[in-house]
Amino acid sequence: MIKEIVEITLRSLSISGAATLLASSWSIPVAYKISRSQRLSAFFMPIVEAIIGMPTVLIGLVMYMLLCSRGPLGIFRLLYTPYAIILGQAILITPLLIATSFRSLFHANQRYGELALTLGATERQAMKLVLTESTPGIIASIVMSFSRALGELGVALMVGGNIRGYTRVITTAIALEVSRGEFELALTLGCILITILIIVSLSLRMLRRLQPL
Amino acid sequence: MSVKLEEIWFRYPRNPKWILKGISLTFRENEVTVVVGPNGSGKTTLLKIASLLYKPLRGLVEAWGNDFWSLTGDAKIKLRRRVVYVHEKPILIKGTALHNVAYGLLLRGFSREESLRIAENLFTRFGVPYLKGKPASMLSAGESQLVSLLRAIVLNPSLLFLDEPMAHLDLGKRRIVLSMIRDLVKNGVGVVIATHDFSLAQSLADKAVILEEGAIAAEGGSEVIFEYLGQKV
Repeated sequence: MIKEIVEITLRSLSISGAATLLASSWSIPVAYKISRSQRLSAFFMPIVEAIIGMPTVLIGLVMYMLLCSRGPLGIFRLLYTPYAIILGQAILITPLLIATSFRSLFHANQRYGELALTLGATERQAMKLVLTESTPGIIASIVMSFSRALGELGVALMVGGNIRGYTRVITTAIALEVSRGEFELALTLGCILITILIIVSLSLRMLRRLQPL
Repeated sequence: MSVKLEEIWFRYPRNPKWILKGISLTFRENEVTVVVGPNGSGKTTLLKIASLLYKPLRGLVEAWGNDFWSLTGDAKIKLRRRVVYVHEKPILIKGTALHNVAYGLLLRGFSREESLRIAENLFTRFGVPYLKGKPASMLSAGESQLVSLLRAIVLNPSLLFLDEPMAHLDLGKRRIVLSMIRDLVKNGVGVVIATHDFSLAQSLADKAVILEEGAIAAEGGSEVIFEYLGQKV
């Protein structure tokens, strides 16, 4: 039992961690690009902020339709694999990552972008300064997004299938144990999830203290 | 001739109000130009356009004979490196005061050792060596202002634009900044100061420009400041 709980916990952390890294790889460059242009930010940010709260089951459903054998991405045979969950969670947290890292980058661009230019920086040097100065804010948004991915159920259940020893993560395991009437195990898993989320939240607070005033 | 503005019109995005209305001015090396005017008269915007940071909506910005905003790549950076703008509210990067002053030199390709050595010498030259080891986050407003001025001076610009340079300074630091400005002009640098402090303007100006609601109300030697004040009283 303990071995299985440890295994599920580690799987949850690795899947959500990979999803967060994947989402960061496209979200942060997009956020940087948007933060550089008032027109882009005025157009995109209300849309991005609106879809942060999109239901996870809706994303799960869309992902299912894309990944199922008849779907456009069916040839990759990703459905009911950890990769499907990674992809789904990455898409789920993308708006959150863009919106939160945009705020740090926009602020840094306003302050440090202009400073870099007046000190004679090239575009690349200005970008480096802006990214360096907004690092604590960007890390904070990555941590927050990881927390969101870890706690979601809809995507993991619909495209992961909750397969024991393969795609079962903490949230899908809790759902299963509740449906079986195994409340004790469900609560244990719930406590583990909450402990992880609290640790993530505490590290986020510490990172915020590092954010320059 | 250094930076010449011709018929400059500017307004901020999504704001119908014109901040600058048809300004024509020339900022030259080897003299102190003071831009005076009440809050909201467009001084900061004018300085940011003249220091090649903001692109005007209409008009021509000519820097050392080149239409600046038609240039691209290296040519643009090369000209921009001849002017430095110092913000009213100092913007410092992470690290020590010394790192902040050396930063512009690092951007321009100086080695780390050389940048730090030049920056250290500047702290000593202006009598504030005690500041160099302080983290930027621990500096007072006046010290931050001084560090951002040193960071501009170390770059040896042809034109230096100072936005309310005395805003956060006590008497001792004001003296340091005044001696910095006089030192710079003696060495051929053009200094442009935006301020609403008429007495400071009068004491420093070789040339004075009075801005009112985005337009030039008066222009000439430092005497125009008194003439302007006389009309207002």
